[in-house]
Amino acid sequence: MPSLTAATRTVRSAWRSVFRVGWPRTDKDRTAAMISSFFLHVHSAKVKKHSLRASYTLGLGLISFYLLLVLVVTGVALMLYYTPHPPEAYRSMKDLQFVVTFGPVLRNMHRWAAHAMVLVVFLHMCRVFFTGGYKTPRRFNWVVGVVLFLLTLGLSFTGYLLPWDQLSFWAITVGSNIASYAPWIGDDLKYLMLGGHVIGSGALLRFYVLHCVVLPGAAMTLVAVHFFRVRKDGLSAPPQPEPSAIVEAAPGRFPASTRSYGLMALTDRPAQPVVESDPEDDEVLSWPHLLYRELLLLLAVLVVLHVVALVFNAPLEEIANATITPNPAKAPWYFLGLQELVHYSAFVGGVLVPGVIVLALVLIPYLDPKPRGVGVWFARERRWANWTFGAFAIVAVVLTIVGTFFRGPNWAWVWPWMR
Amino acid sequence: MTDPAKDGDRAAGGLTGERTRRRFLFTTGTATVVVGVFGFLGATARYLFPNVLYEPPSRFPVGRPEDFPPGTATFLPERRLFVFNSDAGFYAISSICTHLGCNVNHITGDGFACPCHGSLYDANGQVTRGPAPRPLAWFALSLSPRGELVIDEERLVQPDYRFKV
Repeated sequence: MPSLTAATRTVRSAWRSVFRVGWPRTDKDRTAAMISSFFLHVHSAKVKKHSLRASYTLGLGLISFYLLLVLVVTGVALMLYYTPHPPEAYRSMKDLQFVVTFGPVLRNMHRWAAHAMVLVVFLHMCRVFFTGGYKTPRRFNWVVGVVLFLLTLGLSFTGYLLPWDQLSFWAITVGSNIASYAPWIGDDLKYLMLGGHVIGSGALLRFYVLHCVVLPGAAMTLVAVHFFRVRKDGLSAPPQPEPSAIVEAAPGRFPASTRSYGLMALTDRPAQPVVESDPEDDEVLSWPHLLYRELLLLLAVLVVLHVVALVFNAPLEEIANATITPNPAKAPWYFLGLQELVHYSAFVGGVLVPGVIVLALVLIPYLDPKPRGVGVWFARERRWANWTFGAFAIVAVVLTIVGTFFRGPNWAWVWPWMR
Repeated sequence: MTDPAKDGDRAAGGLTGERTRRRFLFTTGTATVVVGVFGFLGATARYLFPNVLYEPPSRFPVGRPEDFPPGTATFLPERRLFVFNSDAGFYAISSICTHLGCNVNHITGDGFACPCHGSLYDANGQVTRGPAPRPLAWFALSLSPRGELVIDEERLVQPDYRFKV
């Protein structure tokens, strides 16, 4: 049967044209598999053991990325049935909810993944802070992360208007009016955001374009930058500072490799060979150790999201009605801490406090650059920093809980169990 | 200074104080390109501000004077305002809370209350409590040739305003 062997050989060679390494059976192949694949080469061939410890990173960055992937996939699916124009927008939601096959599941997944992403990105930021992960050489990547957090909020906020129901309409009314309190540019900012003076078809179209094109594009680009720097600096900060990484690369010089497996090590070699300063047994191969963990986590995220999406329906109220304000009218939950402050003063809660918080977050790595207490949770050397950040995080959480559960009609105090 | 790399930098018009003409041309050239690019981008940003709005007109008839019985307040939900017919004449107060744009509720004889953040206004729309920064807007009224009351949201008036028919 010479023709069969020929066919087998053709198939095998075609397969090899796609997957050059094949299923790796030796350590050399496992290394090559990571390097030769476009999708896998975001990983290094080997990883430090500390960054695989679940109790260290909690996998929060990865979970955020998975949620983003889920949001992109479900979002594109939802776009097929959505018309960004009132009142058809609301009708498309009703269609998705009642007549489109698997429509409710996809919409629910999109909604809950969006909420989860806000929470998980926030927790990821807390994790990085409490383990000192924002210090040299990861200072700028912290800033990229802060911008990604803001983009996450922006994505969630712009998506909030799209169902065009009472919940979305009044949440965006409150939100866009908060923007108008910005000094000097407030009114122009609101006009720019809404494409007019009122929330109508122009505003819906703008939010749609921001939500589906501009912000996802920006987020994907910055995620790529974020990952690229993580790849260059190592998955997560090691418990002891890397001797060669404390100083960021000197200008005009290609940074020295800090790894013993620098396959493409076109570098100035440090005086001391890295092989000796960097004990091999600290590292394991990314295939399978990292890859399997990533796949398991992806599976877990998908399972949890599916269960939540099957059990809990995303809210959909009556169609947006500018003449009836629901009482109370609440912003999305992640802005309820701000709304609680806004209830005292619109300028303080809507402009001053968020502005100062964002500025402080961006400046953290530059105000606190000393590489002490890095790579461990709640290091003693960083007690002061951890307490400060922790206090702010707790205040934010408490305000959000108060705004969500303890505020009733006319924003008066209510006990959740007395409703 | 014989380092070839440094020489390369200098050739590009860069880092040293020497060769000032080349450096000058490089700097002004770069600055021109940057200013040009950002100037065009800045001017193009004007595109984002629409010149024509398909929004409800700010001047509109609300009905004949006799549609508003004396001594009453009428809420016009589509227009988001109240029309009052008092002994001294007609007046119109916006129902849009100046805090964050929710509709305020009218409490007869007592003023207005906002459901969103608890702002309270007196019967003249002046803030008495809560986070609202400004009083409720008062709009000018007029009579159309067809004998209808017309409200002009562009013309704001003081709380002593009354329109006699």
